[in-house]
Amino acid sequence: MPDFSPTDYAVPGFVALVLIEMIWARFRRPEAYEPKDTLVSLGFGLGSTVAGVLFGGAAIAVFAGAYEFRLLTVGWEWWAWPLCFILDDLKYYWVHRAGHRVRWMWASHVNHHSSQHYNLSTALRQSWTGAFTFGLLFALPLVLLGFHPVMIAVCGGFNLIYQFWIHTEAIERMPRWFEAVMNTPSHHRVHHATNPRYLDRNYAGVFIVWDKMFGTFEEETQEEERIRYGIVKQLGSFNLLWAVFHEWISMAQDIWHSPWRHKLSYLLRPPGWTHDGSRETSDQIRAQWIERTGQTKRHNTAPASTSDQFPIEEQASAH
Amino acid sequence: MPPILIQFFGSLAAILFIAWLVLRMGLGNTPSLGSAQAVNTAAGEVEYGFTPAAIAVDRRGQAALARDGHGRIMVLRPHGGHIAGRVLTAGACADISGDRLTIDCGERRFGSVSLEFDGSRPWADAINRLSGIDRA
Repeated sequence: MPDFSPTDYAVPGFVALVLIEMIWARFRRPEAYEPKDTLVSLGFGLGSTVAGVLFGGAAIAVFAGAYEFRLLTVGWEWWAWPLCFILDDLKYYWVHRAGHRVRWMWASHVNHHSSQHYNLSTALRQSWTGAFTFGLLFALPLVLLGFHPVMIAVCGGFNLIYQFWIHTEAIERMPRWFEAVMNTPSHHRVHHATNPRYLDRNYAGVFIVWDKMFGTFEEETQEEERIRYGIVKQLGSFNLLWAVFHEWISMAQDIWHSPWRHKLSYLLRPPGWTHDGSRETSDQIRAQWIERTGQTKRHNTAPASTSDQFPIEEQASAH
Repeated sequence: MPPILIQFFGSLAAILFIAWLVLRMGLGNTPSLGSAQAVNTAAGEVEYGFTPAAIAVDRRGQAALARDGHGRIMVLRPHGGHIAGRVLTAGACADISGDRLTIDCGERRFGSVSLEFDGSRPWADAINRLSGIDRA
């Protein structure tokens, strides 16, 4: 029975690729990196390994317990590995989708999206608080089908390693056949974008086909619109602890202050949902975008210039 | 020292080295809010659909204010290599000292934002009205 963590062996490769991308940025796109942003990203990476050491045992215990109730025994045959990898990637798609659509899950996953940059160091923004969500449950069907928890963990490790290299702007497009099947830098840039057209799209880990199958695929159209990265309400802070816990705190405040009948909704409904409509979900933002892009074809709304006066009476009456 | 702590502190040293290297290589940029175009673009990016009807720009391009047709006021400032902003709510307040307008958006982690521009009084009053503050 194999007993190793592939990500441990991949760390030197991650560091080497970050350094190579930094050299690329030095000559081609200096703005691709920013010192404080990089420091926060790498701090996230280090903290997530500590969280793994602290809380990983609980996941192993749950999986080991569930494995005792398996319906089949797949064993360690060679074919079990690719099958497990594919099914684990399907699992990843759904747990990732839940990570964006359920606020409880988002409170943890938002960590990965908290940078306004998109480079290989961004890939290391891994959550510290995943153990406090129900993401683990998505793997239980695989365990109950009879895949050994170690096999699932190893496949998950390789899945994570694959996803590292797609966090870059240094690669525009891969060959057409590759883009059709695999998750790529282009597809994943869409996933990290905050442009309304791209919100909550391309959840794939390794195989982009899941998004195409389940209706969440969006093609990158850089020529039409520059991508903006991060989250809808940008953090505006390089405080690592705030970056880690801000959504947990915000969710707890919303639950605390809301009427009883809405408390559970703040846990289980999509990020941005409010009982009083004071914020917007990604669906609402996209709907606005669709409506607005239709409107802009009919009405020319001129933006402001510095010479515009401040119409104070209008301001006062606008509330 | 236990191996796990050696690994932790070794990783921490590597992280600090890489961040220093990013600084040393001159990576990063300082975005400017020095033009109306830049403010309009940034405001629409901070909140989709926010179309400034009036703006105020800091003389050094280090911050800006924008007001939309619904009377909402947004404060913008650089954050690393990008722009971050907030639509001001009831927790916000503004203070004027000479030409300098300092805005506290009421969110501690976002911090306060200072701008220097002519005609800051109406903006300060409008911001303070959000919280019902009368500084006249």
